[in-house]
Amino acid sequence: MALWFVLSPLLVVAGGALLLMLAEAFSKEGARGGLALGTSIVFAAGFVFSIGVWLYGVDDVPERLALAPWLVIDHFTIFFDALLCLGGGLAALLAGGYLPEYNIERGEFYMLLLFATVGAMMLAAAGDVLTVFLGLETMSIGAYALTAFRRTSPRSAEGALKYFLLGAFAAALLLYGFALLYGSTGHTDLAGIGEAVKQSGEKTPMMVIALVLVLVGLLFKVSAVPFHMWTPDAYEGAPTPGTTYMAAVVKAGAFAMLLRVLLTCFGDKGSMSWSAGWPPALAVLAVLTMTVANLIAGQQESVKRMLAYSSVAHAGYLLVGVVSTMHSQAQGVSSVLFYLLTYTVSTAGAFGALILCGRRGAEAVSYEDLAGMGRRHPPAALAFSLFLISLAGLPPTAGFFGKWFVFRAAMDSGFYVLTVIAFLNSVVAVYYYLRVLVYMYMREPPAGAPVATPMKSGYVTAALLLSAIFVLLLGIVPQSSLEMAIKAASVFGG
Amino acid sequence: MIPVEYYVVLSAVLFTLGGVGFLIRRNVIATLMSIEIMLNAVNVAFVAFNRSRTESHTGQVFGFFLIAAEAAEVAVGLAIVLSLFRVRRTVRSDEADLLKN
Repeated sequence: MALWFVLSPLLVVAGGALLLMLAEAFSKEGARGGLALGTSIVFAAGFVFSIGVWLYGVDDVPERLALAPWLVIDHFTIFFDALLCLGGGLAALLAGGYLPEYNIERGEFYMLLLFATVGAMMLAAAGDVLTVFLGLETMSIGAYALTAFRRTSPRSAEGALKYFLLGAFAAALLLYGFALLYGSTGHTDLAGIGEAVKQSGEKTPMMVIALVLVLVGLLFKVSAVPFHMWTPDAYEGAPTPGTTYMAAVVKAGAFAMLLRVLLTCFGDKGSMSWSAGWPPALAVLAVLTMTVANLIAGQQESVKRMLAYSSVAHAGYLLVGVVSTMHSQAQGVSSVLFYLLTYTVSTAGAFGALILCGRRGAEAVSYEDLAGMGRRHPPAALAFSLFLISLAGLPPTAGFFGKWFVFRAAMDSGFYVLTVIAFLNSVVAVYYYLRVLVYMYMREPPAGAPVATPMKSGYVTAALLLSAIFVLLLGIVPQSSLEMAIKAASVFGG
Repeated sequence: MIPVEYYVVLSAVLFTLGGVGFLIRRNVIATLMSIEIMLNAVNVAFVAFNRSRTESHTGQVFGFFLIAAEAAEVAVGLAIVLSLFRVRRTVRSDEADLLKN
């Protein structure tokens, strides 16, 4: 019984997805408006169950070990369950407004959202190479299909193709790394691999190749520069709720995998040393990711593509947190978890506001489309501003504390240069976020130009309200969620 | 009996061939095949490494999972290629260039 209970977040989402798929198959054409609502309810239920399991505490449930090593149910897993359900729910609400407006409402979208989230939740719980692989594929296949969802759009097909090819390539690299790890340690469970790597002391050449392959595969999935080429194209090609989903849920799932695999398999002193380990490589890539993404984001003419590059830049800040695990695993991981939480609600809100600002035939894409929005539609402009300010990391929003804790973790670990570079980058990023505000509040559209008018949709409004509440709550009283992140991070000792 | 090392070398060669094919081929179907070759190399490696560990069959079981999941992945991949072909009349990745910085 207790086993079912600790697994309930995953089971609720999986069961809900199956039920909704049946309901969709038997529903009449044109009577599918309820699917968005149903999907949001399933995600909300998953979220509530995660919080319930969290409050009950999983440490006192010995039955959870029955699933080891395949699925590891601990506070880290439950934290991600809640986070992924939150992101998925926001994307589902946005889809409820976006898909009917652009006349591409088909039930598959919601099923893909749900099943991909099941994959992401499995990924967060995965404690064996096999479950890592299955979770990753479940999540990625769903995300590929979401990107290709607008079947008549050449951009959608092209973005999906690039995403699919590079995603499958990355999965192959990761798997070959796992195969070599299996060959050199004889284990497929992450804890066993970690133990064997620790015992071996000096790494064999095979282990080093395995580490490099695993690292490259993971970095592809979190879209760190120079493995980010697919990200802007996939994000631009996907329908905007799909983009939201990739920026929020897929990124969080990938970071859950990165943390779990790296810190469990290569969390020993030897692998985490500055002279012979992975942290220096990751530090260099974090700097590259932030700098390159921010510079390119500043040159974009499309707001959607700017947000895509901004999501790459945020992966860079998150990597700074991952590097900080070198000195204190618990502090580094907790800063990454908290940052992911703030980033999820801010980015979902920003994409949601972009959806809100457009209509069929007049989708808001470029900065010019948003000109004068502040005067014509104050609520939409206000919501957009809030989320952009949060992404820029200014108080009193969630993004401020997210950056604060990551930078502090880096400072406490002694990475002063890295912190300064990350700080300078977040200053540069303010430029392109505020550029949207300048257009919305200080520019007027040229006479005769087509003007974007906000859509009216209860779903989108609900999603924006929900994210706005989270952004403000996390920005004003971050204490309780930070404590949750710290507790979730405590599963990694030291 | 053929030593395990031979299989490992075979898988490394296959993996490299697949990787090179992925990087240089511009026909999407050929790129897909290259990815499949890389994944087959993973399979060969897993099964070969299982030889020296007779107490369990983890490596071989992994092979089955890999084959099944890859079938699903390729189904989605081919569907994407098909939808690209419908709207662009091409299966070459260098002609899919609408999205740029």
